[in-house]
Amino acid sequence: MSGRRLQAIAIFVMALPALALAARFGTQGLGANPIEEITHTTGEWALRWLLASLAITPARRWLGWSRLAPLRRTLGLASFTYAGVHLTTWAFLDLGLDLAAIFEDLTERPYVMAGMAAFSLLLSLALTSTRASMKRLGSRWISLHRAVYLAAVLAVVHHFWLIKADYWPAIVHGSILAALLAARLLWRARQSA
Amino acid sequence: MVVPWVGIPLGDVLKRFEPTSKARYVSFETLVDREQMPGQKRRVIDWPYREGLRMDEAMHPLSILAVGMYGRVLPNQNGAPIRLVVPWKYGFKSIKSIVRIHFSENQPNTSWNDLAPSEYGFYANVNPEVDHPRWSQARERKLGHFLKRPTLAFNGYADQVASLYSGMDLRRNF
Repeated sequence: MSGRRLQAIAIFVMALPALALAARFGTQGLGANPIEEITHTTGEWALRWLLASLAITPARRWLGWSRLAPLRRTLGLASFTYAGVHLTTWAFLDLGLDLAAIFEDLTERPYVMAGMAAFSLLLSLALTSTRASMKRLGSRWISLHRAVYLAAVLAVVHHFWLIKADYWPAIVHGSILAALLAARLLWRARQSA
Repeated sequence: MVVPWVGIPLGDVLKRFEPTSKARYVSFETLVDREQMPGQKRRVIDWPYREGLRMDEAMHPLSILAVGMYGRVLPNQNGAPIRLVVPWKYGFKSIKSIVRIHFSENQPNTSWNDLAPSEYGFYANVNPEVDHPRWSQARERKLGHFLKRPTLAFNGYADQVASLYSGMDLRRNF
Protein backbone atom coordinates (compact mmCIF):
# COMPACT_ATOMS: atom_id res chain seq x y z
CA MET A 1 0.00 0.00 0.00
CA SER A 2 1.37 3.42 -0.88
CA GLY A 3 2.17 6.02 1.74
CA ARG A 4 -0.57 8.30 0.47
CA ARG A 5 -3.17 5.62 0.63
CA LEU A 6 -2.15 4.74 4.17
CA GLN A 7 -2.48 8.40 5.18
CA ALA A 8 -5.89 8.70 3.52
CA ILE A 9 -7.19 5.63 5.29
CA ALA A 10 -5.67 6.78 8.57
CA ILE A 11 -7.28 10.21 8.34
CA PHE A 12 -10.63 8.62 7.57
CA VAL A 13 -10.33 6.30 10.57
CA MET A 14 -9.33 9.18 12.83
CA ALA A 15 -12.35 11.17 11.72
CA LEU A 16 -14.80 8.39 12.54
CA PRO A 17 -15.29 9.19 16.24
CA ALA A 18 -16.01 12.80 15.33
CA LEU A 19 -18.51 11.74 12.69
CA ALA A 20 -20.15 9.36 15.15
CA LEU A 21 -20.42 12.18 17.66
CA ALA A 22 -21.93 14.51 15.07
CA ALA A 23 -24.43 11.80 14.12
CA ARG A 24 -25.43 11.36 17.74
CA PHE A 25 -25.80 15.12 18.11
CA GLY A 26 -28.09 15.23 15.12
CA THR A 27 -30.29 12.44 16.43
CA GLN A 28 -30.57 13.56 20.06
CA GLY A 29 -28.33 10.64 20.92
CA LEU A 30 -26.02 12.47 23.31
CA GLY A 31 -28.02 11.59 26.39
CA ALA A 32 -29.16 13.78 29.25
CA ASN A 33 -26.00 15.86 29.37
CA PRO A 34 -24.89 16.56 25.79
CA ILE A 35 -22.12 19.06 26.51
CA GLU A 36 -20.55 16.71 29.04
CA GLU A 37 -20.83 13.84 26.56
CA ILE A 38 -19.11 15.84 23.80
CA THR A 39 -16.40 16.99 26.18
CA HIS A 40 -15.83 13.49 27.48
CA THR A 41 -15.80 11.80 24.06
CA THR A 42 -13.46 14.29 22.42
CA GLY A 43 -11.13 14.16 25.42
CA GLU A 44 -11.11 10.39 25.40
CA TRP A 45 -10.22 10.24 21.71
CA ALA A 46 -7.56 12.95 22.04
CA LEU A 47 -5.85 10.69 24.57
CA ARG A 48 -6.33 7.53 22.53
CA TRP A 49 -4.85 9.00 19.34
CA LEU A 50 -1.95 10.33 21.39
CA LEU A 51 -1.30 6.89 22.86
CA ALA A 52 -1.58 5.39 19.36
CA SER A 53 0.99 7.88 18.14
CA LEU A 54 3.33 6.81 20.94
CA ALA A 55 2.81 3.16 20.00
CA ILE A 56 4.15 3.58 16.46
CA THR A 57 7.84 3.58 17.35
CA PRO A 58 7.61 0.54 19.64
CA ALA A 59 5.67 -1.20 16.86
CA ARG A 60 8.45 -0.36 14.43
CA ARG A 61 11.20 -1.50 16.73
CA TRP A 62 9.65 -4.56 18.29
CA LEU A 63 7.38 -5.79 15.49
CA GLY A 64 9.25 -4.47 12.46
CA TRP A 65 6.28 -2.43 11.17
CA SER A 66 8.33 0.34 9.60
CA ARG A 67 5.65 1.41 7.14
CA LEU A 68 3.70 3.03 9.95
CA ALA A 69 6.27 5.73 10.70
CA PRO A 70 4.47 8.55 8.81
CA LEU A 71 1.42 7.96 11.02
CA ARG A 72 3.15 9.42 14.06
CA ARG A 73 2.46 12.93 12.87
CA THR A 74 -1.01 12.11 11.59
CA LEU A 75 -2.02 10.59 14.91
CA GLY A 76 -0.45 13.46 16.83
CA LEU A 77 -2.38 16.00 14.80
CA ALA A 78 -5.57 13.99 15.23
CA SER A 79 -4.99 14.06 18.98
CA PHE A 80 -4.42 17.81 18.83
CA THR A 81 -7.59 18.34 16.81
CA TYR A 82 -9.75 16.36 19.19
CA ALA A 83 -8.09 18.15 22.12
CA GLY A 84 -8.88 21.46 20.47
CA VAL A 85 -12.55 20.55 20.10
CA HIS A 86 -12.49 19.33 23.72
CA LEU A 87 -11.10 22.65 24.94
CA THR A 88 -13.44 24.70 22.76
CA THR A 89 -16.43 22.74 24.05
CA TRP A 90 -15.36 23.48 27.62
CA ALA A 91 -14.62 27.17 27.10
CA PHE A 92 -17.49 27.96 24.76
CA LEU A 93 -20.38 25.56 25.31
CA ASP A 94 -19.81 24.78 28.97
CA LEU A 95 -18.52 28.08 30.34
CA GLY A 96 -20.14 30.29 27.68
CA LEU A 97 -16.85 32.14 27.14
CA ASP A 98 -17.33 33.64 30.60
CA LEU A 99 -13.78 34.85 31.23
CA ALA A 100 -14.22 34.94 35.00
CA ALA A 101 -15.40 31.32 35.03
CA ILE A 102 -12.59 30.25 32.70
CA PHE A 103 -10.05 32.05 34.88
CA GLU A 104 -11.48 30.44 37.99
CA ASP A 105 -11.28 26.98 36.45
CA LEU A 106 -7.70 27.58 35.32
CA THR A 107 -6.50 28.88 38.64
CA GLU A 108 -8.49 26.85 41.15
CA ARG A 109 -8.95 23.44 39.61
CA PRO A 110 -5.82 21.30 39.28
CA TYR A 111 -7.35 18.99 36.71
CA VAL A 112 -8.05 21.96 34.41
CA MET A 113 -4.49 23.21 34.88
CA ALA A 114 -3.15 19.79 33.91
CA GLY A 115 -5.39 19.70 30.86
CA MET A 116 -4.40 23.18 29.77
CA ALA A 117 -0.72 22.32 30.21
CA ALA A 118 -1.16 19.21 28.08
CA PHE A 119 -2.98 21.20 25.42
CA SER A 120 -0.33 23.93 25.35
CA LEU A 121 2.31 21.30 24.70
CA LEU A 122 0.21 19.69 21.97
CA LEU A 123 -0.31 23.13 20.42
CA SER A 124 3.42 23.81 20.21
CA LEU A 125 3.97 20.37 18.75
CA ALA A 126 1.21 20.87 16.19
CA LEU A 127 2.58 24.27 15.17
CA THR A 128 6.04 22.77 14.63
CA SER A 129 4.86 19.58 12.99
CA THR A 130 5.68 20.63 9.41
CA ARG A 131 8.76 19.60 7.48
CA ALA A 132 9.66 23.29 7.18
CA SER A 133 9.77 23.46 10.96
CA MET A 134 11.94 20.38 11.13
CA LYS A 135 14.41 22.05 8.78
CA ARG A 136 14.37 25.33 10.62
CA LEU A 137 14.78 23.88 14.08
CA GLY A 138 17.27 21.18 13.15
CA SER A 139 18.39 19.15 16.13
CA ARG A 140 16.27 21.26 18.48
CA TRP A 141 13.18 19.84 16.81
CA ILE A 142 13.83 16.43 18.34
CA SER A 143 14.27 17.95 21.81
CA LEU A 144 11.08 19.98 21.45
CA HIS A 145 9.05 17.02 20.28
CA ARG A 146 10.11 14.92 23.23
CA ALA A 147 7.53 17.06 25.02
CA VAL A 148 4.94 14.63 23.66
CA TYR A 149 5.77 12.31 26.57
CA LEU A 150 5.03 15.02 29.09
CA ALA A 151 1.84 15.93 27.22
CA ALA A 152 0.67 12.33 27.45
CA VAL A 153 1.44 12.12 31.17
CA LEU A 154 -0.40 15.40 31.80
CA ALA A 155 -3.37 14.15 29.80
CA VAL A 156 -3.60 10.98 31.89
CA VAL A 157 -3.25 13.00 35.11
CA HIS A 158 -5.94 15.41 33.88
CA HIS A 159 -8.25 12.45 33.38
CA PHE A 160 -7.44 10.87 36.76
CA TRP A 161 -8.09 14.10 38.60
CA LEU A 162 -11.61 14.52 37.30
CA ILE A 163 -12.92 11.03 37.98
CA LYS A 164 -15.75 10.72 40.48
CA ALA A 165 -15.76 7.02 41.29
CA ASP A 166 -14.89 4.71 38.40
CA TYR A 167 -11.12 4.77 37.97
CA TRP A 168 -10.99 1.88 35.53
CA PRO A 169 -10.71 3.76 32.17
CA ALA A 170 -7.99 6.02 33.59
CA ILE A 171 -6.12 3.00 34.95
CA VAL A 172 -6.25 1.37 31.51
CA HIS A 173 -4.95 4.49 29.73
CA GLY A 174 -2.31 5.05 32.39
CA SER A 175 -1.13 1.46 32.12
CA ILE A 176 -0.88 1.67 28.35
CA LEU A 177 1.14 4.88 28.63
CA ALA A 178 3.40 3.34 31.28
CA ALA A 179 4.00 0.33 29.03
CA LEU A 180 4.80 2.53 26.01
CA LEU A 181 7.24 4.64 28.03
CA ALA A 182 8.80 1.53 29.54
CA ALA A 183 9.29 0.07 26.06
CA ARG A 184 11.28 3.13 25.07
CA LEU A 185 13.42 3.05 28.20
CA LEU A 186 14.06 -0.63 27.64
CA TRP A 187 15.14 0.05 24.05
CA ARG A 188 17.50 2.79 25.19
CA ALA A 189 19.00 0.52 27.80
CA ARG A 190 19.57 -2.14 25.15
CA GLN A 191 21.19 0.36 22.79
CA SER A 192 23.70 1.50 25.35
CA ALA A 193 24.40 -2.01 26.63
CA MET B 1 -37.61 20.20 39.08
CA VAL B 2 -38.80 19.96 35.54
CA VAL B 3 -39.48 16.23 35.59
CA PRO B 4 -43.19 15.41 36.04
CA TRP B 5 -42.91 12.66 38.64
CA VAL B 6 -45.89 10.57 39.65
CA GLY B 7 -45.84 9.78 43.34
CA ILE B 8 -46.92 10.47 46.89
CA PRO B 9 -45.44 12.52 49.70
CA LEU B 10 -42.83 10.49 51.59
CA GLY B 11 -44.24 11.86 54.84
CA ASP B 12 -47.61 10.21 54.23
CA VAL B 13 -45.92 6.82 54.08
CA LEU B 14 -43.59 7.39 57.03
CA LYS B 15 -46.40 8.64 59.27
CA ARG B 16 -48.06 5.22 59.10
CA PHE B 17 -45.13 3.77 61.01
CA GLU B 18 -45.61 6.25 63.85
CA PRO B 19 -41.98 7.32 64.27
CA THR B 20 -41.15 8.28 67.85
CA SER B 21 -39.19 11.39 68.77
CA LYS B 22 -36.07 9.21 68.76
CA ALA B 23 -36.45 8.80 65.01
CA ARG B 24 -34.42 11.81 63.97
CA TYR B 25 -33.28 10.45 60.63
CA VAL B 26 -34.62 8.27 57.84
CA SER B 27 -32.27 6.03 55.88
CA PHE B 28 -32.83 4.21 52.59
CA GLU B 29 -31.21 1.29 50.83
CA THR B 30 -31.37 0.30 47.21
CA LEU B 31 -31.57 -3.11 45.58
CA VAL B 32 -28.44 -5.21 45.03
CA ASP B 33 -28.99 -7.55 42.08
CA ARG B 34 -25.97 -8.21 39.91
CA GLU B 35 -28.06 -9.96 37.28
CA GLN B 36 -30.42 -7.06 36.67
CA MET B 37 -27.79 -4.43 37.39
CA PRO B 38 -24.45 -5.70 35.99
CA GLY B 39 -22.78 -2.47 37.04
CA GLN B 40 -22.94 -3.76 40.60
CA LYS B 41 -20.49 -6.53 39.77
CA ARG B 42 -17.73 -4.01 40.35
CA ARG B 43 -17.28 -2.45 43.74
CA VAL B 44 -17.25 1.13 42.43
CA ILE B 45 -19.50 1.90 45.37
CA ASP B 46 -19.87 -0.21 48.50
CA TRP B 47 -23.27 -1.72 47.53
CA PRO B 48 -26.07 -1.38 48.44
CA TYR B 49 -26.39 2.30 47.58
CA ARG B 50 -27.49 4.11 50.72
CA GLU B 51 -28.99 7.54 51.39
CA GLY B 52 -30.66 9.39 54.22
CA LEU B 53 -32.63 12.45 55.24
CA ARG B 54 -33.22 14.34 58.45
CA MET B 55 -36.75 13.64 59.69
CA ASP B 56 -38.02 17.17 58.98
CA GLU B 57 -36.64 16.95 55.44
CA ALA B 58 -38.36 13.58 54.98
CA MET B 59 -41.66 14.96 56.25
CA HIS B 60 -41.56 17.99 53.96
CA PRO B 61 -44.29 17.89 51.29
CA LEU B 62 -41.68 18.26 48.55
CA SER B 63 -40.04 14.94 49.46
CA ILE B 64 -41.72 12.47 47.18
CA LEU B 65 -41.77 8.71 46.74
CA ALA B 66 -42.14 8.38 42.99
CA VAL B 67 -43.55 5.37 41.14
CA GLY B 68 -43.84 6.96 37.71
CA MET B 69 -42.85 9.81 35.46
CA TYR B 70 -44.38 11.49 32.40
CA GLY B 71 -47.63 9.71 33.21
CA ARG B 72 -46.08 6.26 32.96
CA VAL B 73 -44.65 3.63 35.27
CA LEU B 74 -41.07 4.32 36.32
CA PRO B 75 -38.59 2.71 33.91
CA ASN B 76 -35.86 0.55 35.45
CA GLN B 77 -33.07 3.04 34.84
CA ASN B 78 -35.05 5.76 36.61
CA GLY B 79 -35.30 3.74 39.82
CA ALA B 80 -38.21 1.31 39.43
CA PRO B 81 -40.31 0.35 41.24
CA ILE B 82 -40.09 3.16 43.76
CA ARG B 83 -37.58 5.94 44.32
CA LEU B 84 -37.06 9.10 46.29
CA VAL B 85 -37.27 12.57 44.78
CA VAL B 86 -35.85 15.38 46.92
CA PRO B 87 -35.92 18.26 44.44
CA TRP B 88 -33.93 20.82 46.43
CA LYS B 89 -30.92 18.55 46.80
CA TYR B 90 -28.31 17.26 44.39
CA GLY B 91 -29.51 14.25 42.44
CA PHE B 92 -27.48 11.61 44.25
CA LYS B 93 -29.73 12.09 47.31
CA SER B 94 -32.76 10.88 45.32
CA ILE B 95 -32.08 7.21 45.84
CA LYS B 96 -33.58 4.74 43.39
CA SER B 97 -35.09 1.26 43.60
CA ILE B 98 -35.64 1.50 47.34
CA VAL B 99 -35.92 -1.84 49.10
CA ARG B 100 -35.48 -0.81 52.75
CA ILE B 101 -36.30 2.21 54.89
CA HIS B 102 -35.07 2.68 58.47
CA PHE B 103 -35.60 5.22 61.18
CA SER B 104 -32.51 6.05 63.20
CA GLU B 105 -31.39 8.29 66.02
CA ASN B 106 -28.09 9.14 64.45
CA GLN B 107 -27.19 10.54 61.07
CA PRO B 108 -26.94 7.52 58.74
CA ASN B 109 -24.02 6.72 56.46
CA THR B 110 -24.64 7.63 52.83
CA SER B 111 -22.79 6.11 49.89
CA TRP B 112 -21.23 9.17 48.25
CA ASN B 113 -20.32 10.68 51.60
CA ASP B 114 -18.56 7.44 52.51
CA LEU B 115 -16.77 7.39 49.18
CA ALA B 116 -15.59 11.01 49.20
CA PRO B 117 -16.49 12.91 52.39
CA SER B 118 -14.78 16.12 51.25
CA GLU B 119 -16.84 16.16 48.07
CA TYR B 120 -20.31 14.85 48.96
CA GLY B 121 -22.01 15.92 52.14
CA PHE B 122 -25.04 14.57 53.95
CA TYR B 123 -27.26 17.57 53.24
CA ALA B 124 -26.24 18.15 49.61
CA ASN B 125 -28.60 21.10 49.22
CA VAL B 126 -28.23 22.72 45.80
CA ASN B 127 -26.01 25.72 46.50
CA PRO B 128 -24.32 27.75 43.76
CA GLU B 129 -22.11 29.43 46.34
CA VAL B 130 -20.44 26.30 47.64
CA ASP B 131 -18.13 24.70 45.10
CA HIS B 132 -17.43 21.01 44.93
CA PRO B 133 -13.70 20.78 45.74
CA ARG B 134 -12.90 20.04 42.10
CA TRP B 135 -15.48 22.04 40.16
CA SER B 136 -18.00 24.83 40.45
CA GLN B 137 -21.71 24.36 41.16
CA ALA B 138 -22.59 27.84 39.97
CA ARG B 139 -24.01 26.78 36.60
CA GLU B 140 -26.41 24.06 35.58
CA ARG B 141 -28.11 22.63 32.53
CA LYS B 142 -31.86 22.29 32.57
CA LEU B 143 -32.91 18.93 31.14
CA GLY B 144 -33.84 19.25 27.48
CA HIS B 145 -31.71 22.35 26.97
CA PHE B 146 -28.26 22.48 25.48
CA LEU B 147 -26.53 25.47 27.08
CA LYS B 148 -26.07 26.16 30.77
CA ARG B 149 -27.59 28.76 33.06
CA PRO B 150 -26.95 29.97 36.62
CA THR B 151 -27.81 27.54 39.42
CA LEU B 152 -30.46 28.63 41.91
CA ALA B 153 -30.17 28.19 45.67
CA PHE B 154 -32.09 25.08 46.76
CA ASN B 155 -32.74 24.45 43.08
CA GLY B 156 -35.33 27.23 43.10
CA TYR B 157 -37.19 25.92 46.16
CA ALA B 158 -35.67 28.38 48.62
CA ASP B 159 -39.08 29.75 49.61
CA GLN B 160 -40.30 26.27 50.49
CA VAL B 161 -37.28 24.75 52.22
CA ALA B 162 -34.76 27.39 53.32
CA SER B 163 -36.41 27.55 56.75
CA LEU B 164 -35.36 23.95 57.44
CA TYR B 165 -31.78 25.17 57.59
CA SER B 166 -32.05 28.51 59.31
CA GLY B 167 -29.07 29.02 61.57
CA MET B 168 -27.03 26.32 59.84
CA ASP B 169 -23.73 27.07 58.17
CA LEU B 170 -24.43 25.61 54.74
CA ARG B 171 -20.79 25.85 53.78
CA ARG B 172 -19.81 23.44 56.55
CA ASN B 173 -22.97 21.37 56.29
CA PHE B 174 -22.79 20.94 52.56
